[in-house]
Amino acid sequence: MSTSDIVARCTGLFEDLNFVYAREWKAARPGRKVVGYMPFYVPRELIHAAGALPMGVLGGGDQLEVIHGDAYYQSYICRIPRSTVELGVTGRLDFVDGMLFPSICDVIRNLSGMWKIMFPKTMARYVDVPQNFRDDVGGEFYVNELNELRKDLGELCGRPVDDESLRHSIALYNENRRLVREVYAFRAAAPWKAPSSEVYLLMRAGMVLAVEEHSRMLGEYLEAALAENRPRRDNTRIVITGAFCEQPPLSLIKSVELAGCYIVDDDFMLVNRWEKANVPLEGDPIRNLACTYLHGSMSTSAKYEPDLSKKGLYLVDSVRRNRAEGVIFMAPSFCDPALLERPMLQNVLAAHGVPFIAFKYAENSGQMAPIREQAGTFADSIKLWSEA
Amino acid sequence: MTITAGVDVGTGSIKTVLFEVEGGRTHWLVRRTDRVRQRDPLKLAAQAYDQALEEAGLRRGDVHYVATTGEGESLDFHTGHFYSMTTHARGAIYLEPSARAVLDVGALHGRAIRVDARGKVLTYKMTSQCASGSGQFLENIARYLGVGQDEIGKLSRQADNPEKVSGICAVLAETDVINMVSRNISAPNILKGIHLSMSDRLAKLLKTIGGIDGTVLMTGGLALDDGLLAAMQETMQREKVAVQVTAHRDSIYAGAIGAALWGAFRHEKLARLDALAAA
Repeated sequence: MSTSDIVARCTGLFEDLNFVYAREWKAARPGRKVVGYMPFYVPRELIHAAGALPMGVLGGGDQLEVIHGDAYYQSYICRIPRSTVELGVTGRLDFVDGMLFPSICDVIRNLSGMWKIMFPKTMARYVDVPQNFRDDVGGEFYVNELNELRKDLGELCGRPVDDESLRHSIALYNENRRLVREVYAFRAAAPWKAPSSEVYLLMRAGMVLAVEEHSRMLGEYLEAALAENRPRRDNTRIVITGAFCEQPPLSLIKSVELAGCYIVDDDFMLVNRWEKANVPLEGDPIRNLACTYLHGSMSTSAKYEPDLSKKGLYLVDSVRRNRAEGVIFMAPSFCDPALLERPMLQNVLAAHGVPFIAFKYAENSGQMAPIREQAGTFADSIKLWSEA
Repeated sequence: MTITAGVDVGTGSIKTVLFEVEGGRTHWLVRRTDRVRQRDPLKLAAQAYDQALEEAGLRRGDVHYVATTGEGESLDFHTGHFYSMTTHARGAIYLEPSARAVLDVGALHGRAIRVDARGKVLTYKMTSQCASGSGQFLENIARYLGVGQDEIGKLSRQADNPEKVSGICAVLAETDVINMVSRNISAPNILKGIHLSMSDRLAKLLKTIGGIDGTVLMTGGLALDDGLLAAMQETMQREKVAVQVTAHRDSIYAGAIGAALWGAFRHEKLARLDALAAA
């Protein structure tokens, strides 16, 4: 299978706002359940272990006209909750049995309450995550939170989630994350062979496909991309940060690449690689998930960093590890977690001599000329005037 | 010795140049302009590039760096792409080393760029999205008046009583022109009026970037329009801005030249970095 075949499949899934794949998956066997979740992270292993299909709900993108959704939110709120409400009230999510809303910001937290009122037959749950990283405090809290979620999912699916099923699911997701990390590492090593517009679609496919199928797809893409000969450009290597919730339109990612940038790291769909290493399979699986969240997970603006001296160092580390030459802060308009953190992260980058630029987008942004101009001049300035 | 190509894919035309660069010396091998005229610009650019190579007696494999600019980032044979402001700045310094500001006026927009002696962009300002200060607009008006593009400058310089048009909106400006035609205003006076309106707008851009003195080089397709150049000089004099606005006979190639020269610079820099990494 060629990369273009795989990308065509991913594009079909990406553009499908009726979630046909998930509908068919559910219809294939009586009693099957689908559980939707929003960015940036939920423990998908628990959903899988309950026998349900975890399905990422990342808003409506640039192809959905928001008509009803705007009535639920004031104008200075980002677009993802509006378009998610639009998906809900237009019946596009009518097959979804449960919705999980992670602790990312007030808007998404409130959306969980709204969902309960608007769709009372759907299980809607706010998934809280620890802000304290001590095992005896945040760890205990998260173990309890995960156990509650385990119980709710068991009730939804009509069978308790036992430890063995959970270990099996953790193993499948460990393998999936290993392959996701491999794709990211491959792109960082040879970005001309794995354009970010393709990698993005590949990762988006992981939001809807069953984990086993997505893992197969990742393996096939790696094999195909390695075999294909694509020309290497003299582009600037950059890291994108701030896009961990509402997703940019695909045309924006393509515009950044066309402007002369190789994206060598990003924070789109962090859930795909949230755990940095394998979650252990031995012992209590719930405790293992909690412990990995506390001590072995990615960093992002939406995750509290208790040690001020370490704030933002994950970005510097990404720049060094991926041999990036600059950072683009690319955040959705009105995204509090990304935009309030940005000045602090920019200070850290400035202190480490890493050049950066910043701009905002909405999932339905259409004007790419200013983005191309900013990204293009940024890439030029690094290529021509950096000391390296 | 580095052989480098610059391909500037503009809205109105494709400009292609080839250079040979050795140390600090540059030798310009080939230049060519191909009007787009409703054709696919990317296909045309590929043909133009191959024809330029043929003129120089070279093959694709002989070129060390193919740099694109303008809308050329999708050309599959490019090594690197530079934003047009970056390339016009460098190209202007190549053509006129004393220039410290560049006025790039193309088919769709005008842009004032302040540069240093190395061709580094210090600051810039662009016209808004309306095309009233652009070559495309001027081309449309010339067509309405039944005037060939190469006649625009000459006719404009014959004007004795120019009438200005709206400098903000192309639609309003076109309405102004229709009114002028119905009032029997002569083509030279209409064209000069348009040139003066455009130069007012461009002069504002130049003043906004600030700190300009000495020479301002016009680049882009409209640098060839000596009527616009004369109107610009007149406007700057009237506004008491002590700069010399000038154009070079090769100003239209500024973007392509800049791309080619930055391409050579990058080729050498990358070779240095590779050697360092190997050591």
